[in-house]
Amino acid sequence: MLLHGKAARLIAQAVFLVLFLPLFALPFLVIVVASFATDWNGALPSGLTVQHYREALGGDAAHALTVSLLTAVAASLVALLVGAWAALAAHRLRRAGRGVMDTLFTLPVAVPSVVVGLSLLVAFSKPPLLLNGTPGIVITAHAVLVTAFAYQSVSAALARLDPACEQIAASLGASPARVLWRIRIPLLLPSLTGAAGLGFALSMGELSATMMLYPPSWTPLPVSIFGATDRGSLFTGAALAVVLMATTLLVLLAVSRVRNRASYR
Amino acid sequence: MSVRFDRVSVSYGSQTVLDAFDLAVEPGEVMALLGPSGSGKTTALRAVAGFVTPASGRVLIGGRDVTALPPHKRGIGMVVQSYALFPHLRVDANVAFGLKARRTPRHETVERVARALEMTGMAAYARRYPRELSGGQQQRVAIARALAIRPEVLLLDEPLSALDAALRSAMLTELARLHRELPDLTILYVTHDQIEALTLADRVAVMDSARLKECGTPLDLHRSPGSEFTASFVGGANLLPVSVSGGTVRFADAELQLVAPGLTDADTATLCVRPHRVGLGDGPNALRGTLAEVQWRGATHRLVVDVAGHRVAADVTELRDPPAPGTPVTVHFAPQDAVLLTSGPVREVARG
Amino acid sequence: MASATAGAVPTGRQLSVPRWAWTLPPLAALGLAFLYPLALVVWQSVSPDSGGHDLSAYGQVLGSTVFREALLNTVVIAASATAGCLVLGFTLALVIAFVPFPGGRALSRVVDVFLAFPSFLITLALLFLYGTTGIVNGLWTQATGAANGPLDFLQTPWGVVLAEITYFTPFVMRPLLAAFERLDTAQIEAASSLGARAPRVVGRVILPEALPALAAGGSLVLVMCLNEFGIVLFTGAKGVTTLPMLVYGKAILDGDYPGACVVAVVSVVVSVALHTLYRAVVSRTLPASGGTRAAAR
Repeated sequence: MLLHGKAARLIAQAVFLVLFLPLFALPFLVIVVASFATDWNGALPSGLTVQHYREALGGDAAHALTVSLLTAVAASLVALLVGAWAALAAHRLRRAGRGVMDTLFTLPVAVPSVVVGLSLLVAFSKPPLLLNGTPGIVITAHAVLVTAFAYQSVSAALARLDPACEQIAASLGASPARVLWRIRIPLLLPSLTGAAGLGFALSMGELSATMMLYPPSWTPLPVSIFGATDRGSLFTGAALAVVLMATTLLVLLAVSRVRNRASYR
Repeated sequence: MSVRFDRVSVSYGSQTVLDAFDLAVEPGEVMALLGPSGSGKTTALRAVAGFVTPASGRVLIGGRDVTALPPHKRGIGMVVQSYALFPHLRVDANVAFGLKARRTPRHETVERVARALEMTGMAAYARRYPRELSGGQQQRVAIARALAIRPEVLLLDEPLSALDAALRSAMLTELARLHRELPDLTILYVTHDQIEALTLADRVAVMDSARLKECGTPLDLHRSPGSEFTASFVGGANLLPVSVSGGTVRFADAELQLVAPGLTDADTATLCVRPHRVGLGDGPNALRGTLAEVQWRGATHRLVVDVAGHRVAADVTELRDPPAPGTPVTVHFAPQDAVLLTSGPVREVARG
Repeated sequence: MASATAGAVPTGRQLSVPRWAWTLPPLAALGLAFLYPLALVVWQSVSPDSGGHDLSAYGQVLGSTVFREALLNTVVIAASATAGCLVLGFTLALVIAFVPFPGGRALSRVVDVFLAFPSFLITLALLFLYGTTGIVNGLWTQATGAANGPLDFLQTPWGVVLAEITYFTPFVMRPLLAAFERLDTAQIEAASSLGARAPRVVGRVILPEALPALAAGGSLVLVMCLNEFGIVLFTGAKGVTTLPMLVYGKAILDGDYPGACVVAVVSVVVSVALHTLYRAVVSRTLPASGGTRAAAR
């Protein structure tokens, strides 16, 4: 190993913890604690309360959670369908064609989300495609942003897939469609669920494009969190943030359980 | 059903991996494609399965041109090196896969799956997942899966190379038994292992650098190889540069007696003698030299003798008292044990 | 068994859809929801409200101080945050990979979970920690009796930089940890046994091996920092305007769509150029999925 002295190793570990804890562990811990605090401007919160949650979960915010969940589920499913389809189709192309598909489907990652929001606003504010002011425009934006991730993760999984399985299936008499449904998609299931989970998480936390697009009747959770902190109600914001994090974690956990059951090797 | 390659060429980009390959496999025959890696033997097999499309030439199965037919319409069983069992399906579902793809009636499927598993000795493992099986068991399932569709042609691509030595020899026996049970099944067997090829095959096609070198029964190839490559790759051989003139063959100033050489004069030719046919001491075709190397191989000793700058290997029954390197020794071989090769460049190769 | 043969499967009429045709449905979806709107943005940017088509909006916007400040802010913040991420990410990954300590790997997995959380949560947390009425300043005023705490940087560009470093460092650590895993430990042991001290081993053996991963992680983080919106929005600073903030401000707050579109086009050009660079770096770094050439199809 790199460091042989015991002291040197301890120093390295200490430096690590000093850098790691305040930067990564502390922020989320602070949010969790703050969500239960009456007030906090000393070493410890002045008192504990669940008042912020009562505020957060009553009325508007509960609606925001529902909106976020519906948006995230719809967007990640659409993205999974489009992204996985595109990755599967691209996989069968020659090198050049695959390069074009890769470029097009990873482009949404490079374009600033705010611009994605703006472009949808510009494109769908007038008939025949009047989406502006409907939940549809928010879901569309999220789906566009998440599709790139679904495409990338399915592409990567396809590259790792052993072509021998599919060839043997074909030699046994399975048509290309049968090979796709009975062999390729089952083998891709872990990465498909993974992509769905990632898409869900990203959509739950999406703020940039949403800020450009959301209609008053369809305010997702991140927008409510911004609203609360902008009003100066930091603690309510923290409670909402905890709700957001907890929901995301729960769904990721559920997805990873499905995933474990779906991985065969 | 017969399989015929009619001048099949396959290339990847500018690289030709199979060059005008011609071979006819008779119905019910076991044909081994033997060659070093990169010789094109697997490509030839994949051309039969339909996984590669020949740049030119035709592949015929049972007299029918299948060159343009997609793999799933060829009705061929195949077992590959990695077995490629479907990891998400149980053993019985793996074996039933081909039957379901062909819409075989359910009761017949069940029956045929049971038959195939029984035949390969895997009936007890029907409800297992592939990951719960050992390498040898996975191998048997792969064979059962290929046989369940009752193919008339079975392709085996290095099926034993992932197994350890003991298991390999047991599976070799199994495969021989399977072929006795299914005498009509035509088998193409790709291997780089000459023992597998010699044990199992009715005929062996020797391949090197994308081309067919020679095709014949194992005995013919071993007794009278037609080329240096065959001689050294199948069984190992001493390849000695000799000169032929006036009906006599000379090697390093010694005149050699050969059986029915049918000689035409040539400055150089190659004499092929198997090391185990070379004896120690005086005899016909005696060659005198210095002992360069002694290797003890358990039941045998390999002696490498330097004869006028050429190395001659002799495998002799274990010597109680082997001579030390550096001592002068004489080796000999019987006239009927040598084969004269008159084509190809002269190289000195001694392989075990 | 082979006597009752299944033989070849009966040949049906083959559905002859060319391979590229399968790409059309997803391409149509992407085109409608992403490419077409993006093209409209470019079109808007050369179509002033007064009618006609010209580059007048570009002249106006690019000449304005607001835009130039925003561009400068964006670049300075992104570059500083990227530099910070690289240094911090390299250090942390180095410790996790080469100075083993209990729970180190688990910690790096925790970091992965953070990637699933939205970035603005970091700013929210920093507000509690270092905000004007936050914990650190509260401790300071309690201890010294001063009216105000010493920390008041969250609403400056440095607050944004700190938040971005915190959030984006894991994106540098991930490729680095993967690269370190591929690094032959025998190499390091050989170097150590030859008498090289740790800093020298890091400089001469580890760093050169890690450079491609650093380049890949760094360029990805640079693109994400350039595009970051949530962190900047949450600091609530009027003084810190970046290009994405400017797009938001012009479009939503001012209703100046052509102006917003001009800024958007500039922003897209910069980001896409960098992202192209990133993909070039990655495709050169990662071993191509070769070796299966013969088995590919």
